[in-house]
Amino acid sequence: MEHLLDVSTLEPFEPLELTLSATRDLSTGDYLKVVHRREPHPLFPLLEKTGFSWLCRPGGEAGFEIFIWHRGDMAAEGDVAKIS
Amino acid sequence: MLNTAHLSLEQAPPISIPFRFFLTAPLFGAAAGFVLIWVGEAAMVSRWSPVVLSLTHLITLGFLTMVMCGAMMQMLPVLAGSPVPGIGPVGAVTHLALSLGTGALAYAFMQGSAGWMKLALLLLGIGISVFAIAAGLALARVKLSSPTVTGMRWSLASLVITVALWMLLSTGFFGIVALNNLPSYTDLHLGWGLLGWMGLLLIGVSYQVVPMFQITPEYPRIMRDHLTGSLFFGLFGWFLLEIGVIRGYWSTLVPGCWMLLVTAGFPLFAGTTLHIQRLRKRQVSDVTLIFWRVGLIGILFGYLVWLIGRALPEAATAPWYPLLLGTLLLFGGAFPLVNGMLYKIVPFLSWFHLQNRQLALGAFHVKLPHMKGFIGDREARLQFYLYLAALFLALAAVFRPALFTRPAGAFLVLTNLMLGYNLLRAVMRYRNTKVLLNQTESH
Repeated sequence: MEHLLDVSTLEPFEPLELTLSATRDLSTGDYLKVVHRREPHPLFPLLEKTGFSWLCRPGGEAGFEIFIWHRGDMAAEGDVAKIS
Repeated sequence: MLNTAHLSLEQAPPISIPFRFFLTAPLFGAAAGFVLIWVGEAAMVSRWSPVVLSLTHLITLGFLTMVMCGAMMQMLPVLAGSPVPGIGPVGAVTHLALSLGTGALAYAFMQGSAGWMKLALLLLGIGISVFAIAAGLALARVKLSSPTVTGMRWSLASLVITVALWMLLSTGFFGIVALNNLPSYTDLHLGWGLLGWMGLLLIGVSYQVVPMFQITPEYPRIMRDHLTGSLFFGLFGWFLLEIGVIRGYWSTLVPGCWMLLVTAGFPLFAGTTLHIQRLRKRQVSDVTLIFWRVGLIGILFGYLVWLIGRALPEAATAPWYPLLLGTLLLFGGAFPLVNGMLYKIVPFLSWFHLQNRQLALGAFHVKLPHMKGFIGDREARLQFYLYLAALFLALAAVFRPALFTRPAGAFLVLTNLMLGYNLLRAVMRYRNTKVLLNQTESH
């Protein structure tokens, strides 16, 4: 299931705070789609450390879309691969 | 556009370095208020009065330069990827010398003391030299330049020129060196300090922080690429033309006309910033935004007053004219811009350092305060209203000094104490959270 989070109008580091908070609500099979106006480099090492995989691509309304799912969750990873 | 890949904490100074500058600045702002309360209407006699000179430098050095030095020491490694060499001793020496030197300078003006002026010369000379050399090295080593880095380079060069002119002035003022035409050299010193050091740094930094923190579109490319360099060379041209006036080669009309062209860059910047702020996606007003609106409008009004002085020489020679201009540009322009930005920089740095500490320790069970939790919105707004009262009273005091000088001083004290309190609370929040994180390490 997709969880959508639009942080494109927020100032630093609110997008990062809200994204990390939203990742805690992800269950198996879920992925988070984050709509952002910048490529959130400070987020990636945090996702790495907390056991998440991600895909960041330019595009969408705001400039960037970031997909986040639990590392090893093949169902979520497959869903992300289909839409990206 | 800010590339957050360059946001690098590894090279950033300990947070205590910029924080000591930010926490000291409001003390000097409050000191300026106390001077106004103590001296009263005598403070508003003329721009040449010792009290006005003292007040001007308490604000320009003690508050504005203090914050700007601290911010540059943090911004160079974090935003430009170029650490300031020897940041620990550089930060400590700069802070101490700037603090003591500003105090000595303010006292020297009030007492007319050559001895205290020499001490101020020595301390400020050391502090600013150490800072300029270290920051200069960091700026020279930046691998990926940007309009902000360019602005910082021109700004730093302006600081060196400002200080060199002040040293020349001080030696002339106290008869150590024979220097005629002190008022012209003073205007040069003032121009380089206000428009060069402060103006170019504020413009350069705005290119990053306004789109980043105020969620505006980017500044126009042509402005980002060319404005700060053009202004620097414009100021340099003015400098040469003024020397020509001092030497008797031509009249003041020549640099005056030149400056009409050069100074237009500043209201252009202010107007462009107001314009991109209107285009914000998220039209939620926060304290920084309202401080900035006041500051940008202050710059526009200051420019208008300056233009009136060019058009009507009898206005320019009135005793209230330079006081009005100085109050508008310094206290109505630069001060609120810097004040407002502190409310972004301090929470940003606090959260950034804590987040990285949490990452390093793996202490994810410790809940970090939200960015907005470091400084309360209500307290920040109260400080803004106190500032606004101080500003209007200071402007009124230019025309009715007997009635408004002391109240202006009182509100200047209050707004600075409130600012200091708000910043201190943020620092304490940071420290308390860091203690919790460090407890994880010890287990």
